[in-house]
Amino acid sequence: MHKPEAIVLCGDGINCDAETGWALNLAGFEPKPMHVSDLLNNSGVLEAAQMLVIPGGFSYGDEIASGKILAIKLKERLRDALYNYIENGKLVLGICNGFQVLVQLGLLPFSGENDPRIVSLVRNTQLKFINRWVRLQVFPDVNSRFFTSLREIELPIRHGEGRLALELLEDGAKESTEQTVKRLAPLRYTEEVNGSFDRIAALTNPAGNVLGLMPHPEAFVRWTQNPSWTHRQVAIKRFERTNSIAEIPHGLAIFSNAAASLN
Amino acid sequence: MSQMHGTSQTAQNPSRPETTLQWCLSVIPKTDYSAFPLYWIRIPERYKNQQDELSNALREVLIDPLQEELWIAQPEERATWIEQWSRRGYRWWAEKQFLPGVTDNLAHTVQEALELKNFPGITVSSGAGFIFRDRLMSAEDAANLRKTLTMHKIYSDSESVERTSRYTIYHPLADQFKVHDLSADCTGELLTYPSIHLPEPPQTVPVNLELDDAGLEALSKDRLLALTLNEMRTIRNYFRQKQVQQFRSNQGLPTSPTDVELEILAQTWSEHCKHKIFNATISHIDFSSGSRNKVVVKSLYKTYIQGPTKELMATRKDLLSVFKDNSGVVKWNDDFAVCFKVETHNSPSALEPYGGALTGILGVNRDILGTGLGAKPIFNTDVFCFAFPSADLPTRPKLLPAKAIMDGVRKGVEDGGNKSGIPTVNGAIFFHPGYRAKPLVFCGTGGILPLDVHGKCGYEKHTKVGDTIVMVGGRVGKDGIHGATFSSESLHEGSPMSAVQIGDPFTQKRVLDFIVEARDQGLITGITDNGAGGLSSSVGEMAQITHGASIELDKIPTKYPGLADWEVVVSESQERMTLSTTSMDKLQILAEKHHVEATAIGTFHNKGYFEVTRAGKVVALLDLDFLHDGLPPLELEAEWKPSQITMTSGSVPADLSKFLLRLLAHPNISSREHVIRQYDHEVQGMSVIKPLMGERQQAPCDAAVIIPIYGDNTGLAISNGLAPRLSHHDAHLMAVCAVDEAIRNMVCVGADPDTVTLLDNFCWPDPVHGPKNSQGKAMLALLVRACQGLAEAVLAYKAPLISGKDSMKNDFDDGVVRLSIPPTLLISGMARVPDVSKCVSMEFKQPGDLIYLIKAGKPGLAGSHYEEMLGWQSALIPQLDLLKAAQIYRQFYKAIEKGLINSAHDLSEGGLGVAISECIIGSGKGAKIDLTHVVELEKKNADSSPFPFSTDKVLSRIDTILFAEGPARLLVSIDPSQKTEWESLWADFECNEIGVVSDKNRLTIWEGETTVIDVALMDLERAWRTALPFD
Repeated sequence: MHKPEAIVLCGDGINCDAETGWALNLAGFEPKPMHVSDLLNNSGVLEAAQMLVIPGGFSYGDEIASGKILAIKLKERLRDALYNYIENGKLVLGICNGFQVLVQLGLLPFSGENDPRIVSLVRNTQLKFINRWVRLQVFPDVNSRFFTSLREIELPIRHGEGRLALELLEDGAKESTEQTVKRLAPLRYTEEVNGSFDRIAALTNPAGNVLGLMPHPEAFVRWTQNPSWTHRQVAIKRFERTNSIAEIPHGLAIFSNAAASLN
Repeated sequence: MSQMHGTSQTAQNPSRPETTLQWCLSVIPKTDYSAFPLYWIRIPERYKNQQDELSNALREVLIDPLQEELWIAQPEERATWIEQWSRRGYRWWAEKQFLPGVTDNLAHTVQEALELKNFPGITVSSGAGFIFRDRLMSAEDAANLRKTLTMHKIYSDSESVERTSRYTIYHPLADQFKVHDLSADCTGELLTYPSIHLPEPPQTVPVNLELDDAGLEALSKDRLLALTLNEMRTIRNYFRQKQVQQFRSNQGLPTSPTDVELEILAQTWSEHCKHKIFNATISHIDFSSGSRNKVVVKSLYKTYIQGPTKELMATRKDLLSVFKDNSGVVKWNDDFAVCFKVETHNSPSALEPYGGALTGILGVNRDILGTGLGAKPIFNTDVFCFAFPSADLPTRPKLLPAKAIMDGVRKGVEDGGNKSGIPTVNGAIFFHPGYRAKPLVFCGTGGILPLDVHGKCGYEKHTKVGDTIVMVGGRVGKDGIHGATFSSESLHEGSPMSAVQIGDPFTQKRVLDFIVEARDQGLITGITDNGAGGLSSSVGEMAQITHGASIELDKIPTKYPGLADWEVVVSESQERMTLSTTSMDKLQILAEKHHVEATAIGTFHNKGYFEVTRAGKVVALLDLDFLHDGLPPLELEAEWKPSQITMTSGSVPADLSKFLLRLLAHPNISSREHVIRQYDHEVQGMSVIKPLMGERQQAPCDAAVIIPIYGDNTGLAISNGLAPRLSHHDAHLMAVCAVDEAIRNMVCVGADPDTVTLLDNFCWPDPVHGPKNSQGKAMLALLVRACQGLAEAVLAYKAPLISGKDSMKNDFDDGVVRLSIPPTLLISGMARVPDVSKCVSMEFKQPGDLIYLIKAGKPGLAGSHYEEMLGWQSALIPQLDLLKAAQIYRQFYKAIEKGLINSAHDLSEGGLGVAISECIIGSGKGAKIDLTHVVELEKKNADSSPFPFSTDKVLSRIDTILFAEGPARLLVSIDPSQKTEWESLWADFECNEIGVVSDKNRLTIWEGETTVIDVALMDLERAWRTALPFD
């Protein structure tokens, strides 16, 4: 069967491109690593790809604001191509810094050309970078092609600026923006981790083909990446006398859902 | 006069700039604020009619339109901003700005962003503004301020604002900081765009060496050459030689060496680059037997470091490249090799901790990039040695506050690792008052490289005559001049400011991506990093491959004009690699794609010399043989007298539970979670055993395990070991314990002990005797003893050394006090885990599991944290049966392979009591421990001891059993159904069942009928999670 092609952006300080490529590969994609410069010089390559992935990292060293300068670069050179790509129903996935880039580009939660930007990702309330695994709840009523059949998942977060903040507005407008954003949040932290509005960990566009999320799905594609795997393995060994954990790692499931939605 | 732009790296050596506009920008949050970014920008005349467009572009680049607004002002309008804050009740306005020449990463990014918005040529300087009140503020205000500024008191004058801000919000070596009193009529002069004028650079001149001894010594000191009198004489005598003079006159060079040549020699011959002490001939006098016993050691390095490894190489065919490249290279599989290097950056971290640590980690990353034809970094591991801020410590004007050092170092490593996309897989933080003046900042990096690169061996250099010399990455500036010679001296009042440098992880990440792709395209024939000594070292060393090199200074891109020729050659400006290529054109195209600057600066040849030219004129021409082999060997004396310790001790304290809790809260033992969470330890997706494991993510693992190749099942374990608290008791034992700890940590997680490779990092007080250093002979003796211990352990454990480093001047001397670190040896290790699904984490797994203690040798109280807590002193030092320990680790590995072990933890700081507690905290469970049998065994040992009153008696005390520290001890839990199989493995070893994991959340320990410890999990956890005083 023909594997769907996924462009994995790299360069300019992106640093999760290798493992994101590997995760896509496991999920049945044909990952195509592509330097930002190469994409800008030849946006035609987008046509062949079913998904564009902006991986995590520290693009432009996170200076000024996370994702900001890479977003300006993409906007200056790739604006029309990106809008067309999204309008044609192709998938766009931004992970961590990639999510920040999508928000800076004004592609989330609304990805139309004339939609205003209504959210920001700002510094965690702790004012610190945080690397830890968190539990997340999937909201199946939100239209997204990435979370099919998932309910509660575990993934690591690794960010300093992952707190979703809304535009500062007066009461009435504020409430309606809040409701809008809540309706487009397919994933929430089960407990308070960074002060994010409504504990939101991910945003999708209404059509469900653009997703940005702060946790790292590419960091959970084998069970031995989960910090409790040694514990679970002992428990399984004792009760089942087998050596493996049956459930698909949750990060891999997210990529696999994306692949399945393309078939 | 030429003009220097503090921050401009974009324009090619700008000549006189066009007239400019200057703006000052503030990014003001829409919500409450007390600190915010400031920018000063210079705008070329050509944008004069586009000011609205430029303002819009600046808004797009600098602010979040939802959260912030941008204030723009001409310099003279700025006073109106400040009046506003005065009206709102603020009393003080402060602003900071980088000192000219200090790396300003934020400004570079803004410039690049403005280029994207079609405004190239604008130069930027970044900083920050702060507003303070002068009266007691609301609790909320105070809390907000504390968060950002740690300021919550009343300021009576601007000096107190400045003083409190120093090292918390600005650093005097990196920033300008100005405080303005808003209540005064005149607010004083505000900071403007930082441009300073540098005089025309001095011409290259000959340096007269025809001086007497005092003159030579003064010259070495004045020029910061850090060369000894003997070395200065050697250089003088070399240049006196007839054939040298003849050759030089033929080349149009002066008889005396030029300043460029002298500086190149000083860098190449520095302790930092040539490891003179480790290669010295040492006469070691041993007074331990009461009489004088003299041995001559010809090179500690060859005898004790290289020697044992050579011996082990007969059976270890995986050691591909050891001690010769920028890191040690070990075969991984048929396609790849792994490599590992650990460096220190102590002196720079003592002066400017953030920049020092950041450049330390980026520097060791470049060692990996510069290995073979270029390896890709896949993990970092960092070990910090600090003085604890609350300890009673000497305060000297030159010394930074201990806490400022800790916070700066922690943050520097965070930015260096996280922004480079290299996971910090494990590390250690160790406190001792001896690190007050010089913190030790060990930065380690491992990498992976293909064995075959376009038909060439990937772990060797293939530079040929005619290959182009290419400098890649950052430009050359005044930053970091004399770093190599500086680190070879103790800190003193005149320590040079140019040693301060701040790294640029973003630029280096681009360089990293570029190098890896260039390597894979076969464009690199050889590569090394620009670290200590800059180009003089990198080109000088690579020149040995072809036996000659020439570089042209005119081609070398600089950050600003005004550098002397010698400064260009020895500058240690960061983020630079030097490589050789036969395909400069292709390399250039690739460099442009990656936004990396790559410049051809010369050619490798085989003419036997290292040549530097400026405008076609030779400014340095040094014979390579003299440059690399002309250094006279050092001759040193060591005197060893065993330490004399007066024993003091007391009876067993009544409440051992209380002592356990105090130990758990000890800064050397308590949880490192606060630091671990701020370091990305998972990027690259390779992790298997992380720093904190378990259901609660609280189990502090002994070693890291990663899978270097996606889809593979073979793991790489990484660990560290150090035992400086034993140095003054017995440096030999200290070294053995460091080796043992590193290996034991890896064995605990499931590594195969037959695959271990080690790295040594010696950090020592000055071991060269001299008028200012009366302890030199004793320190050298400790070094000899440590090397002997290291060699012994390496051979016993069959764990070869593959790379190492030494830092030999870790003293502070301001003429009033001399502060020296405890001699410290860090051992870092790698080993193979053939099947990662067999890995074991340290926390207990399930109630009912049986707990065992395995050991070889005997622990001790000397240097233990328990003894420190009680104020005791004893000569009861740990004893180790090395061969038995080596067997234990191999037996342990068999048990892992059979899947018998559910948890394993090494006993280290705080001994058995702490180890059990950590296993409980990690699991959220409990344990019932019965030590009756262990006490009886120790008593039996003591009774059978040939010494009537021996320390063995102390060993059977319950408090010693609980809290003594020492090597080769492991705590294991197993499934009760496997008891028979497990015990059959250990018939010939000291392996005793001591308890059972329980589902009661308590730790209970008995001896006979007595409950010696009974503590709830919650209390253990509360103590252990006492936060370290990091911001």
